[in-house]
Amino acid sequence: MLSPERLALPDYEYLAQRHVLTYMEDAVCQLLENKEDISQYGIARFFTEYFNSVCQGTHILFREFSFIQATPHNRASFLRAFWRCFRTVGKNGDLLTMREYHCLLQLLCPDFPLELTQKAARIVLMDDAMDCLMSFSDFLFAFQIQFYYSEFLESVAAIYQDLLAGKNPNTVIVPTSSSGQHRQRPTVGEASVLEGVEASLFYQCLENLCDRHKYSCPPPALVKEVLSNVQRLTFYGFLVALSKHHGINQALGALPDKGDLMHDPATDEELERLLAQIPGLVNSATANPEASCLPSRTPPRVGSPWRPLHHARKLDAESDGSTEETDESET
Amino acid sequence: MIPGKYRSVSGRAANNVNCGLHLVIQTSSLPEKSKVEFKLNKETPSFPGRLLQHDLERNYSSRQGDHIHLASSSMPSFPVLQRSSEEKILYSDRLTLERQKLTMCPIIDGEEHLRLLNFQHNFITRIQNISNLQRLIFLDLYDNQIEEISGLSTLRSLRVLLLGKNRIKKISNLENLKSLDVLDLHGNQITRIENVSHLCDLRVLNLARNLLSHVDNLNGLDSLTELNLRHNQITFVRDVDNLPCLQRLFLSFNNISTFESVCCLADSSSLSDITFDGNPIAQESWYKHTILQNMTQLRQLDMKRVTEEERRMASVVAKKEEEKRRESHKQSLLKEKKRLTINNVARKWDLQQHRIPSIATNQDRNVSDSPSQDPVSAFPEETGSLDSGLTNALQGLSVLDTHLVEVDGDTLSLYGSGALESLDRNWSVQTAGMVTTVSFTFIEFDEIVQVLPKLKIKFPNSLHLKFKETNLVMLQQFNALAQLRRVDQLTIDPQGNPVVNFTLWKYYVLFRLSHFSMQKINGTEVTQNDMIMAERLFGILAHVASSELPQYRLISILGDARKKQFRYLLETKGKKPGLVSEENNDSKKLAGENTNRATLNYTTRDFYNERLEEIKEKKKFCKMYMEDLVKEATEINMKNEALQKLWPQMFIELVRDAVIEIRNKNSYMKLCLQQITDQK
Repeated sequence: MLSPERLALPDYEYLAQRHVLTYMEDAVCQLLENKEDISQYGIARFFTEYFNSVCQGTHILFREFSFIQATPHNRASFLRAFWRCFRTVGKNGDLLTMREYHCLLQLLCPDFPLELTQKAARIVLMDDAMDCLMSFSDFLFAFQIQFYYSEFLESVAAIYQDLLAGKNPNTVIVPTSSSGQHRQRPTVGEASVLEGVEASLFYQCLENLCDRHKYSCPPPALVKEVLSNVQRLTFYGFLVALSKHHGINQALGALPDKGDLMHDPATDEELERLLAQIPGLVNSATANPEASCLPSRTPPRVGSPWRPLHHARKLDAESDGSTEETDESET
Repeated sequence: MIPGKYRSVSGRAANNVNCGLHLVIQTSSLPEKSKVEFKLNKETPSFPGRLLQHDLERNYSSRQGDHIHLASSSMPSFPVLQRSSEEKILYSDRLTLERQKLTMCPIIDGEEHLRLLNFQHNFITRIQNISNLQRLIFLDLYDNQIEEISGLSTLRSLRVLLLGKNRIKKISNLENLKSLDVLDLHGNQITRIENVSHLCDLRVLNLARNLLSHVDNLNGLDSLTELNLRHNQITFVRDVDNLPCLQRLFLSFNNISTFESVCCLADSSSLSDITFDGNPIAQESWYKHTILQNMTQLRQLDMKRVTEEERRMASVVAKKEEEKRRESHKQSLLKEKKRLTINNVARKWDLQQHRIPSIATNQDRNVSDSPSQDPVSAFPEETGSLDSGLTNALQGLSVLDTHLVEVDGDTLSLYGSGALESLDRNWSVQTAGMVTTVSFTFIEFDEIVQVLPKLKIKFPNSLHLKFKETNLVMLQQFNALAQLRRVDQLTIDPQGNPVVNFTLWKYYVLFRLSHFSMQKINGTEVTQNDMIMAERLFGILAHVASSELPQYRLISILGDARKKQFRYLLETKGKKPGLVSEENNDSKKLAGENTNRATLNYTTRDFYNERLEEIKEKKKFCKMYMEDLVKEATEINMKNEALQKLWPQMFIELVRDAVIEIRNKNSYMKLCLQQITDQK
């Protein structure tokens, strides 16, 4: 608790970094809104429940988008909630359109903006044929990257455009109205002959960005890993690589690995219980295959994959990239 | 010879006009097709058998001693006819030249008293050489090859003219025959009735077996009693009412198919006998009674007497038909109005959806509804204004409505958002109870959501909901249907409802509305497998929505829903408080049915934004409050830290001060004592 780094920051910055104020404000707001109901069972209990739900990640359910977007923890919780609620859809094997995924998102957050979903879909579909069907896992991982790192990605897009145009954004540029023209200048040399930008140059720019960015960004080491595998890459290629990278997913800590995506024994049990409650249902046949195949597939971390975020971060700070690559076979 | 029916006309017993003739014709220069040979009458005329090759007629009786002398005529081609003087005396006024293979009319000399002339069954092509027979009353040219009526202009006394079975194409050149009594033109090629208006004495006109396609131009025939038009191609008849004496009209075997085409017959008071057999009209089911109803003066129809019974039946049936026709006319008018209204609503809807560029033309005048067409469900509560609206419709005024409400037995159809207001109306219990299907078209779903509580109350038996062009775009919108009492069937028309394009929409509906145990969605039965799949897909969502929400959130969400329902209910007019509490119980019961789904609500976008706006104030306050708290806390923290920093120094100073004070024991004791005494 009394780690030196914590005391090193001045008050406001510390509070801001941990987003304490956001939660406090929201709690008080909720209290105000529902004071008739809450006053019945006590304010202390309310605060307990509130912060418990924040820890568990259920505080974002059915909340407005501005709240969900407010902190990285909220975003991660939302991703996780989405995964848990609609994992069954993915398990069923249905391929859905972008609009339908957006509908599902809206079930959890009524005013979720369409642009985010569209951007996520663009990552999956490589900016092509936006009406195509997407699988649940593809969409989910792309959505994770887009939603969690949305500000970061915007800056990356700007950098990419600059690089395409042949400018090096490391040089200090005073933004003027002419910067738009730079983008439109025909890209001679690299872009016309080869696609995308050079990976190493790209990485340098990103590294600078991560340093000075106040929003959350993926761990630079992992980004370097992604970029080191290729010579050149396009913007969407980069994003796809990000979304598929196990390490980044683990660094986020919201979703399990791709192989485990469809498995969540706790909720499966719940589901079976619910199904059993449907009148006149003969489900012995359906229940058994699930139960039998579960044990064989559970990797050692099944106990509580959902660890509080700071814990995961600490792990990340210590280890360099993900070392726990479990060997899963793809379903 | 002379057809029997004309006997009475000529007024004399002229049936056996036997003219015993021996006819010999010298026709050397005639082109002769006949097999007859013509000889000069040089032989004794006492062999009638030898000379008369064409003694075929039964009425033809040969007389002894009759013979004619045929002298060479002045014109080389025309034969000249002469009779013996005996003949002339015996039959001075009649002359029969039947079946004589005549190809032209012979010149008839010295027979100026002739009154009857019979040229039947010959091959005469032109009427000629009879101009001198100015006393002629009866002229029979039946069965010849005459192509044109001519050569009759001097026969001013002619009363009977028989031109049947010829090749006459046109009625003409009858101007001077003002005394004509009978005109027979049957079996010709006449296409029009014309040039007969001057025949004011004509009593019988026979135009059967011609090429007439219509009948008109009958004015002037003031004596006409019988008109025979059988076997033509007549499609309509006119001007018959201008014939004041017409009694018998034969129209058999023509092409008449409607009564309207012969409607002038109804106005003819003299008509007593008519035939229509062989026409298309006679095959119609309404034929007999329509004719009888419209022509009450008829005595015979199709040669059968018309009985009183038939007449009565006819009028009854006709009345019924008239009523039916009026009714169906009214129906079709209303249907047309309905169609127009729906079109108008559709156009407005498209405008609203920005599908078509907006043209500022829509004028909506009377916003009147068109009430039920069902004669059973009368609305006694309707005001007079609505009734007048209906009659206006019947008068064919084009009123552009903006919405339409229709109750058709068990279906309530609403078109256009204005129709939702009709739910406030006082529906009779019987009508409302019968309604099992409610159909919404061209209305925004968000607007429908707001009136669902009203629907629940007013139409408690509505089990089937249909939505078309209602802008259903999100799965979440189906949450709103959960507040209804019960829904058995749901039909979402793909047109105008993009939500149907989603793969999972049906499962979501089944999941969210599982407490309804729906039977059909879009016409297909709901199977057990569907229910299982729905639960499997979305069960976790329900679980999360109920058990993982913190308690206060549950309460607030459910409380919100209830509050909203109250608001809708209170908005309706004339609500008794008793009913309100009933609704309260109802909604509580509902919430109890499926608690784990109850939190899945749908707020229309407007309400949602409204709520967010309301919250903004609170948020601002909270922010300020927290900032104050934080300021306070940081100040305290700062002070704390400052204290932490300064404390060692302060402590040292305290100790130093104390030590300095106590250095000199004596003076310190004195000081303390002084302080104590000062205190007193």
